[in-house]
Amino acid sequence: MSAPATDKWKTVRAETARLLTAVVIALLVALAVIMLTSKTPVDTFRTLLTGPLTSKRTLGLWVDEAAKLTVTGLAFSLVFQARQFAMGVQGQVYVGGLAATLVALSPVGTTVLGMPLAVLAAMAAGAVYGFIPGYAKAKLGANEIVSSLMLNYIAVYFITFVVRVPLSAGPGLMQSADFPPASMFAVLVPKTRIDLGLVLALVAIALVWFALYRTSWGLKLRLVGHNARFAEYAGIKATFIMVSAMTASGALGGLLGSMYVQGQTFGRLTYGFEGGLAFEGILIAIVAKSRPLAVPIVAICYGYLLQGAEIMGIRTDVPTEVIAVVRALIILLVASSFKLGLGSMLKKLVSGGAKTGEANAAEAGR
Amino acid sequence: MQPLLEAKAIGKTYPGGTVANNGVNLSVRAGEVHAVVGENGAGKSTLMKILFGIEQPDRGELLLDGKPVRFANPRQAIDAGIGMVFQHFSLVPSLSVYENVVLGSEPRAGIRFDRKRAIEEVKALSERFRLSVDPLPAVNSIPVGQQQRVEILKALYRDARILILDEPTAVLAPQEVEELFAAIRSLVAQGRTVIFIAHKLPEVLEISNSITVMRAGKTVGQVNTRDVTEQSLATMMVGSEVTLRVDRAPTARDRCVLDATAVSVSKDNGKPACTAVDLKVNSGEIVGLVGVEGNGQAEFMEAISGVRAVASGSIRIGGTDIGAMSVLQRRHEGLACIPQDRLAEGLAPGASLAENMVATRLDDKRYVRNGILDLKAIRNNAKGLIDKYSIRAAGPHAAAGTLSGGNMQKVVVARELSERPEVLLVSQPTRGVDLGATQFIWRSITDARDAGAAVLLSSADLSELLALSDRLVVFYHGEIVAMLDNSDAVTPELLGAYMLGLKRQSHNEMKVAV
Repeated sequence: MSAPATDKWKTVRAETARLLTAVVIALLVALAVIMLTSKTPVDTFRTLLTGPLTSKRTLGLWVDEAAKLTVTGLAFSLVFQARQFAMGVQGQVYVGGLAATLVALSPVGTTVLGMPLAVLAAMAAGAVYGFIPGYAKAKLGANEIVSSLMLNYIAVYFITFVVRVPLSAGPGLMQSADFPPASMFAVLVPKTRIDLGLVLALVAIALVWFALYRTSWGLKLRLVGHNARFAEYAGIKATFIMVSAMTASGALGGLLGSMYVQGQTFGRLTYGFEGGLAFEGILIAIVAKSRPLAVPIVAICYGYLLQGAEIMGIRTDVPTEVIAVVRALIILLVASSFKLGLGSMLKKLVSGGAKTGEANAAEAGR
Repeated sequence: MQPLLEAKAIGKTYPGGTVANNGVNLSVRAGEVHAVVGENGAGKSTLMKILFGIEQPDRGELLLDGKPVRFANPRQAIDAGIGMVFQHFSLVPSLSVYENVVLGSEPRAGIRFDRKRAIEEVKALSERFRLSVDPLPAVNSIPVGQQQRVEILKALYRDARILILDEPTAVLAPQEVEELFAAIRSLVAQGRTVIFIAHKLPEVLEISNSITVMRAGKTVGQVNTRDVTEQSLATMMVGSEVTLRVDRAPTARDRCVLDATAVSVSKDNGKPACTAVDLKVNSGEIVGLVGVEGNGQAEFMEAISGVRAVASGSIRIGGTDIGAMSVLQRRHEGLACIPQDRLAEGLAPGASLAENMVATRLDDKRYVRNGILDLKAIRNNAKGLIDKYSIRAAGPHAAAGTLSGGNMQKVVVARELSERPEVLLVSQPTRGVDLGATQFIWRSITDARDAGAAVLLSSADLSELLALSDRLVVFYHGEIVAMLDNSDAVTPELLGAYMLGLKRQSHNEMKVAV
């Protein structure tokens, strides 16, 4: 079976080359924007490109970000493979975070069971929150994009209320009390944010890959994604697959919530703790073509860019938001499946020039 | 006489190394209908794309009126007077007929779009060429046959002298084919030239003046239509003698396997598709469903396969009522189904062959245990079927969508027949499939019948129905109007009379056939 393997590598190589080209183009545009806005463009650009490597702490931030991006990327990949455009990861993160908080701040939170139970509670809450739009679509025909986006708002504002009133640590504080250490993730690398969340992200990659490519549920899910009508003819219950895919994706969203609140970053439930990261999963999944094994690679690269932009915003006169330009360009270039072999373009220019030359000569000869 | 359009020693190799054309010659005289025939993958479409400027040849030259030409894009071909009607139409569904026709070359009054003149012009054009179509309705509200006329009008509006029709009859009912042929004759009578690409040899013989035969990227030869027969043409296409008939062993046919009683089914819009249909199919027989498309056959078949709900009546397989069963449960009762549109219903084009071939058996212990896939068994299953059905593909891992039409259909046939079904539902098994694959698929279906399957066959191709069926059942307006034992006495004309509702059997006559 060497033929499929080489085929596979060819595709991987081509896709990687394409992605790198997209990143280079996007960075060039970012450079142009920086040149126009910064007083010290060279330093600013260097900060964007090398920022995450400057200290142990920033390296840790990068790894932590990559782990979180991986989980949201996986959550989106799962629904995208079933061709469901559920956008509910953000809401799932918040309800997951709340569920983890309730366990962590309960008497159980101080015991050995506190940490794992909180994670499981978060995943269960996320799963339920993912199930709702799926069920609404299957039974009522509700569009999953709309319902999942609306559920996001409900979750975000409900958690805002929760940290302001019932779980508030004190007057004016938009956060819960700190979790007992027993409910928090263990630190893996001291003095960084790298914690157990990284391990959970790695486990999630393996699980999602296994589920999609080694189980009959995964095959059914992919067949539904390829052609739902054919799946019906083949006797696959497309609606069940659809709802279960959204539920499983919800569990991943919930897991991400627990990674936030139980991780070293927070260790408590706070207002807006997710900071909009959940939606970055859409970019990760699109760029990774919804392939679970490609998701962490994209997450590492993209996490690096995000951290670089963050550090650039702190240390230079160019705001972090410039990265939005890079992000938009990458999505645009990757989603439009552009073809831009520089080599072939050059060849075309040269041969095209030659051809026009020939044509002109022929014209003249006539 | 100098040919109007000539292609000499055309060669085209696609990036990736597929040699689509290698030494293709074509010589079309002005005012003739020139058919280009060949199996799927023979290179017809590539040649047409070259003629229309979509692809550029690597070798060889094109001559128009004796002068060498080179089309870098379709625009240049259109300007040179070449028009093309694709198999899949390029119309804007929500725009009206006349808007589609003039789109891109609208008549203007100042800067304003002169609608009145556009409508007049389209009307005049359609009358002149006997392509009657109302200019006002939206394209998505008219039948496929008329949409095709809009495509032809579009080309004529741009003053096409040469009209290329890519398998125009594939989407048409027999009556519409006749109307299309009338239009083609009137086009030629008015000095236009038509290049006609086709699979179905009887049609080619009926409409064309000369025929170019292609095989494996080369032209085999050019012949005058009056000098050839269906048989000699088929031999040229395939390269060896082929039989257009299928031999069938006598079977007992004494056991009723599929029994539909008073079945009524609704269309998607809630209107009745068929009402109180009674049909019995015995083991070892093929029952052909005859009817112009849209007379309820498709919905009836869908109701049996389980993807459409039955409004009333009962369906039994071997005495078991399957009316309330899911698709999967019906498959366990021995039902298999080759749906009418392989890309929409028969396959997942993005999934691999191996995955497509087990899609109906994901609860089978051989391939799935405890929810885990047995990848080796799945691959071996695909390998076996690829060999047995001689499917041309890179291997079990190849995506189904990369195969040619005939090979895709073989994948569906292989999957459905490999489990020796009790009841086999077949819809349009050879639509858009080449002759070699057609032979193979016909053979496979008759083999299933000989092995004792009860086969229900629905097809828009009467010759297919006549070649395969033991009995024929004609649908008209959602009812069975005739049941006939297939014999030499049954002709397409007789079937046509029933199909159009001109004739109708009495109850007693139907009983005789049952």
